[in-house]
Amino acid sequence: MPSVEASGLRREFKAKDAPVVALDGVTLKVGQGEVFGVLGPNGAGKTTMIRILSTLLLPTGGWAKVMGHDVEHEPEKVRKVINMASGAEKAGYDFISAKRNLWFFSQLYGIPSEKAEKKIAELSETLGLTKYLDRKFYALSTGYRQRATIARAFVNDPRVVFLDEPTIGLDVMTARSIREFLQGEARRNGRTIILASHNMAEVDAICDRVAIIDKGRILAEGTPEELKRSLGVPALVMEVSPPREGFETLSRIAGVKGFTSSTEEERGLCTVQVVVENDAAARAAEDAIRSEGLKVVASWRKQATLEEVFVALVGQGFKEREEEGAG
Amino acid sequence: MKARALVRLWSIFGEPLWIVVSMGFPVLSSLAFFLLYYSMGAVSYVGFAVLGGVMVSFWGNVLWSMASQFNWDKQEGLFEIYLTSPASISAILIGMSVGGIIGTLPSAAIVTAFGWTLISVLQLPVPVVGSWLAVALTFALTLASLYAMGMTLSSLYLVYGREAESMNNVLQEPVSLLSGMYFPSVGTFSPFPSAVQIVASLIPLTIGMNALRLALFSTPGADTLALVFPSLAILAAMAVVFMAVSAYSLKALEYKGRKDGTISVRIR
Ligand SMILES: Nc1ncnc2c1ncn2[C@@H]1O[C@H](COP(=O)(O)OP(=O)(O)OP(=O)(O)O)[C@@H](O)[C@H]1O
Ligand SMILES: [Mg+2]
Repeated sequence: MPSVEASGLRREFKAKDAPVVALDGVTLKVGQGEVFGVLGPNGAGKTTMIRILSTLLLPTGGWAKVMGHDVEHEPEKVRKVINMASGAEKAGYDFISAKRNLWFFSQLYGIPSEKAEKKIAELSETLGLTKYLDRKFYALSTGYRQRATIARAFVNDPRVVFLDEPTIGLDVMTARSIREFLQGEARRNGRTIILASHNMAEVDAICDRVAIIDKGRILAEGTPEELKRSLGVPALVMEVSPPREGFETLSRIAGVKGFTSSTEEERGLCTVQVVVENDAAARAAEDAIRSEGLKVVASWRKQATLEEVFVALVGQGFKEREEEGAG
Repeated sequence: MKARALVRLWSIFGEPLWIVVSMGFPVLSSLAFFLLYYSMGAVSYVGFAVLGGVMVSFWGNVLWSMASQFNWDKQEGLFEIYLTSPASISAILIGMSVGGIIGTLPSAAIVTAFGWTLISVLQLPVPVVGSWLAVALTFALTLASLYAMGMTLSSLYLVYGREAESMNNVLQEPVSLLSGMYFPSVGTFSPFPSAVQIVASLIPLTIGMNALRLALFSTPGADTLALVFPSLAILAAMAVVFMAVSAYSLKALEYKGRKDGTISVRIR
């Protein structure tokens, strides 16, 4: 039995003019002990998906099951085996110590106090939280509050844990230690973790499998390796001077699947990454830049990243996609 | 449930300023009525002012610490944690009520001590308590129905946010007035027309306050328990009805919240 299963999952929200389709027919299967990444730009539908699977939101179409229980019709059964945390919220009572907060949340699951205390001590140790347990929640730094939130999400020994951007706004070291913790929980304790994120490096580093989603649809699914390999030839990176916006001509070249660009003001140039199907397309892309009177300061080929997989699928990077969505 | 009560207490006593505010307000307002009655020469009403101060603490606690606290929980994302856990929201709210009641006791005790001191210093007539049992029962049942009403109000936050909060604020003052925190609002001595009195008696606080006045400031020799019995029956019924209504509305509004997507506050 898969830990999480969804079929044709759909969610619309009422809006002033036309309804917003946040999730547009998502079908997936996640096995026990897997760390499953849901990767997509802002507004892709990640949070909506997590909320439906964690019984906070009803689907308007399709169905989903967690550990064999239907999320819409058997929420009580689902709630016994899951937990969740969101990096955007700082869930906890401010004037109470981190330890008492964790204890309180363990009581929502009816865990006997001693057992809960042992579990809290154990989780805090692994997360490097032990020294801060007696601090009031408000007095914790963002990083430690986030560690406490992660500890909370594991306090009931859940079979499936839903995490929505768990490392958002954290420094590299803290984010790394949280990632190691998550991987450990999946490997050692066989917990299934569903991780929504728009951080490619994070997803690449810890997920066994990834679904790339955009506008409520899954565009591709597989291990990070499979996804990157699917691109075939390495991507083309060019440093172009003088910096400017708009390289739409690139999209018209045969064999170019998409591109992203970023400006580096200090260096007076901009970096354009082009996802290509073959070497000929790469050469054509370089020629096209030159023919617009720009100078290609340097160019090289590099192994594809998950971002480039996304670029190849939608012809735009996360940044461009989000700007387009906002405008 | 017990856990939620403890959290409530730790929160109340972990924040000294809050204690001062929550105790200061009832003390001051009961002092104001105390002086008013005293200056009017209505010395027998002075005890009402003290009683009002005690009850206003609890009413404030129901509104601020139950309903509004629940809204806070929602804003902070704690709601999502409650709902995704197997715990029932009713149990969490009962825990919150118990914590709220215990947390309000010190403030109620201070108002009582303060009133008592004034009464003895000014050598006013000391109220004769006919039956402590009647007082205790009335008090307990008033709180039960009051907090059950608070739970019903809380359920609104599953679907509504700021709207429910402003309703809460709007309720605070008129209800204190209608329910006769500091003077009898229903019956022969009421300053209100009978239509207003009927509305007022739908609030458990009104009935509770009246019964408490009966029980506390009774005529010597009267059978107090028999006198307050009808009120007790109504209060008990109200408590049961509000509990049932809140249990139902928590379920129904949770479903509506999941359907409309109003359980999570979207931070944008
Ligand atoms: N409660 C709601 N009411 C109306 N629209 C909503 C609601 N929740 C989400 N949406 C819309 O649904 C779409 C998907 O939103 P969602 O929050 O799932 O995206 P996301 O992938 O989590 O994005 P982000 O990276 O910004 O967190 C967006 O267009 C959003 O505006
Ligand atoms: Mg999101």
